[in-house]
Amino acid sequence: MADNSKIGVFLCECGRRIAPLVDLKDLAAKLEADPLVDYVAVEPFSCLAPGLDQITKAVEEKGLDRVVIAGCEARVMLKKFQNELAATGLEEGQIDIVNLRGHVAQVSDLSPEEKAAKGFKLIKAVAAGLDALAPSVHEQVEFKGPVMILGGGIATYSAAQELSRREIESIIAVSTDEWEDEIRMLHEHYPGERHYYDRMEAIMRDVDASPFVRRITVGELSSVSGRTGEYLVTFSDPMGGPPRVYEVGAIIAALDGQMLNQGTNFGHDGRTVICHTEAEELLWTKGVPEGQIVFWINDYEAGHPEYAYLASRAAWSMARYMRERSPLTKVTVLYNHQMPVPLSAGERAASRKLGIDWVAYDGALRPTVQAGYVTYCDPEDHTEQEMPWDRLILSPRRSVGQEATKVAHVLGLEHVEGHFLEPHKQRVRPEMVGRAEAFLAGSARYPCDLHEALRQGRRAASKTAEMVEKAQTGELFAPRMVCTVDQSKCIGCGLCKEICDCGGIEPVEGHGGNIPRHVDPMVCTGGGTCAAACPYHALTLQNNTTSQREARVSTLSKELAADEILSFGCAWGGLAAADNAGVKGLKYDPRMYMLRVGCIGQLDPSVMARAFLEGANSLLLIGCPPEDCHHSYGLDHTWSRVNLIKKLLHLCGFDRRRIALAHADLNNPEEYIRTVNSFVNQMADLGPIERNSENLEKLAGLYATVNNARVRWVLGATLRRPWEEIYPGNQRNALAFDRDMMGVVSEEFIKSRVANLLRDTQKPYQLHELANALQAEEKPLMESVREMVGEGLIGRMHKDGKAHYMLRA
Amino acid sequence: MLNLTIDGKKVQAEAGWTLLDTARQHHIEIPTLCYHEAVEPFGACRLCVVELRQGDNSRLVASCVYPAEEGLEVHTMSEKVKNVRRWILEMLLSECPASEAVREMAAEYGVDSTRFEVRNPEEECILCGLCVRACAQVVGANAISTVGRGAQKEIGSPYLIPGEACVACGTCVTVCPTGAMRARFDRVRGVPEVVMAKAGK
Repeated sequence: MADNSKIGVFLCECGRRIAPLVDLKDLAAKLEADPLVDYVAVEPFSCLAPGLDQITKAVEEKGLDRVVIAGCEARVMLKKFQNELAATGLEEGQIDIVNLRGHVAQVSDLSPEEKAAKGFKLIKAVAAGLDALAPSVHEQVEFKGPVMILGGGIATYSAAQELSRREIESIIAVSTDEWEDEIRMLHEHYPGERHYYDRMEAIMRDVDASPFVRRITVGELSSVSGRTGEYLVTFSDPMGGPPRVYEVGAIIAALDGQMLNQGTNFGHDGRTVICHTEAEELLWTKGVPEGQIVFWINDYEAGHPEYAYLASRAAWSMARYMRERSPLTKVTVLYNHQMPVPLSAGERAASRKLGIDWVAYDGALRPTVQAGYVTYCDPEDHTEQEMPWDRLILSPRRSVGQEATKVAHVLGLEHVEGHFLEPHKQRVRPEMVGRAEAFLAGSARYPCDLHEALRQGRRAASKTAEMVEKAQTGELFAPRMVCTVDQSKCIGCGLCKEICDCGGIEPVEGHGGNIPRHVDPMVCTGGGTCAAACPYHALTLQNNTTSQREARVSTLSKELAADEILSFGCAWGGLAAADNAGVKGLKYDPRMYMLRVGCIGQLDPSVMARAFLEGANSLLLIGCPPEDCHHSYGLDHTWSRVNLIKKLLHLCGFDRRRIALAHADLNNPEEYIRTVNSFVNQMADLGPIERNSENLEKLAGLYATVNNARVRWVLGATLRRPWEEIYPGNQRNALAFDRDMMGVVSEEFIKSRVANLLRDTQKPYQLHELANALQAEEKPLMESVREMVGEGLIGRMHKDGKAHYMLRA
Repeated sequence: MLNLTIDGKKVQAEAGWTLLDTARQHHIEIPTLCYHEAVEPFGACRLCVVELRQGDNSRLVASCVYPAEEGLEVHTMSEKVKNVRRWILEMLLSECPASEAVREMAAEYGVDSTRFEVRNPEEECILCGLCVRACAQVVGANAISTVGRGAQKEIGSPYLIPGEACVACGTCVTVCPTGAMRARFDRVRGVPEVVMAKAGK
């Protein structure tokens, strides 16, 4: 890996924007002299056809397998280089970009030589990161088995129809043998859709007759395991037999929400005051009732004005059905005047012709249901009126429903009480989202009418079909920058699954006891905070690993002068703000050195510790604005990690301010500059950490401590999730928890130092000698040393009646 | 290998290079606004015009999209070219007088005022659509487009309300040649939930 990588660096002149400002000749000479770099060239424009031709030629002739482009914004240009250089065999992760223009050339008044020196340090760091890259195998994804559509929602049929149209096999898992039964019960989930039943029936017939669809009648869904391409789906048998297991390639969940009746606060009694589903049942069983029917669209009063549209459409549909069949029925729709009447011009005309009254009431006064009357306030003249009724029909209450919740739980969909299943959308680039929410359809996702539910089904099916078709021609590959689990290191603690927001981490069945995890590469967005949290480093973000980031910081930290600042900027916040500062040519303190990172949450505490160990005196992490992390919680997790480092700096006797987390909005580069200048000045006042042997010993202890599994575990448990009010382990008191954490950190810190000392010196120590060497108090040290002996980390032997401690052989 | 001359200098180009590629490779500067290396050239702003001469005939082409051809005689700074650029810059000054980048470029060509009507002195956008192309080709999000037609045309998300498609990556802000996207960006992405303190502004 390290010794056979061949790194080429291409420096861009970029017209007037780099060449006159940076001494590229000097920079190229420095890079050429560096053993890490195998080839250097200066290109007028690396990104244009002539430059790309040159790079391609160099890669082929010199056998380069890593390329650094020192030009402009990686956020904008990296994709082009990846596409253009793909023919040479360079893959994602093997090309990196240093923003020489925006982070060096344009943003300070340094001389060209000084800028060349700054550029050299940044390029060398990036090259070191590439050097530490172990490219992963390009993993091809295959679909082993048909597509399963489960959950029993009505979108099952539109999804199956779409798949069958594209000649892809599917299994539909439903609870009844006959589709006619489903039409009969459809109004329980989608009332007021009678006008749609003919079309629905046509879809169902189509699916029933299709040779690509297999219909199975199953009981409850009990488990789903595996990953995109190879799932094992288990159902209970409805007849009570053994569980039934299916091997499928993809899963589409069709889930319908539940309609509940309003409570007695709206006068609901189930006979004369009823809800939509009951009204539909009445129409099925008894036919259209006579007399005065009033639909009250009470969604505003029920607290969900957003559902008024659906309720009034359903009411309109039922009202029309009633009037068309029974001239003796009078129908009125009573609605809140804030609600726009959702009828087209044609429908309004039809409504007038049928004699359906639409009566608005003033929303300021809640209508009251009384015997035979609803009182309401007229919005025009503000007098209270009474509306007579024989039957009052209320809007339904909408919820996900128990059954859909159960299925969602088995599928691992996060369900927040009181919310629908609409997946939380991460704001990341489309190519970073494997298949995301594509596989969920129906009104359990969010309240919708039948038409929308069917559309969602078709959409989920066509997204799935796209992948299946790609896989059939062998063109479907897993993204390269996703997490992988080293099964030999994973102990199955489940911390990663708990903090993963994209839902890509799944247990592997059949290992018994501690179940190791694995990652579905088609779901993982490559955020990487899970990898940074793993207590055992079993989870890695491949092609973009913690060891690569450690290589980068250690190289840069060694190069930095005492007053220079090491910094990480996330691609969505800090880095983007720095890029935009460069575009605008804003000047800021040139002592700032920023490295690029996809999400600030990718930074393992070991990367932060490594920086201090290797010579950095300060570290500034710049992420997105608070609560705006594109990978959901990377920023919050980094907050906890920074606090760990602060605690350790304090234990070492260094200033806690040497590490800081900052927030930058990419559209506000001026603010970013204030952040940088303020931090750089603060650090200049602090001065460097003296690199004497005592301090170096402490820093080595600091580094060992953040890699300690116990510390990482406790840290993992503290990682904040925004919705959490209770800390894990029922530790309700944040302060008490932090104190416990401090205790753990101090214990492990001293233990790490003892272990380091014994390993480095390879000789036995008595307790007072240890205390002397580590400048620690004897009493707490004794406790720690005893524990270490007990845990078998170090050995104890007695010489001349005195206890000596040493590394175990 | 193709042989051509640019401003009297004999240069070589490969098939597939544009005139702009070729000129830049040989350190000949041609101004651009709507051009960005990350996306396909579009030829919208016409600032990159160059003159092609063949005997007494001459014509102007946009160098960012015109392919290099054998035997071409290209002039990037002839009077004709400069005249066209001055016209364009003068029109741009009326269109987007607030853009510093446009003003600077105009000043380089000696244009510091415009004879055309200035409709909006605050305007920065030249409607080159670079942000739209970057969003489609670099990000793949297709979150912004030109909205409206003719004189009402502007850049934004559909219906000019923050759209779900936007991932707030800021690529449009970074590539914008005039700095106009900055003011439009919040309307596309929606303002972050927690607005940072605007100290010092």
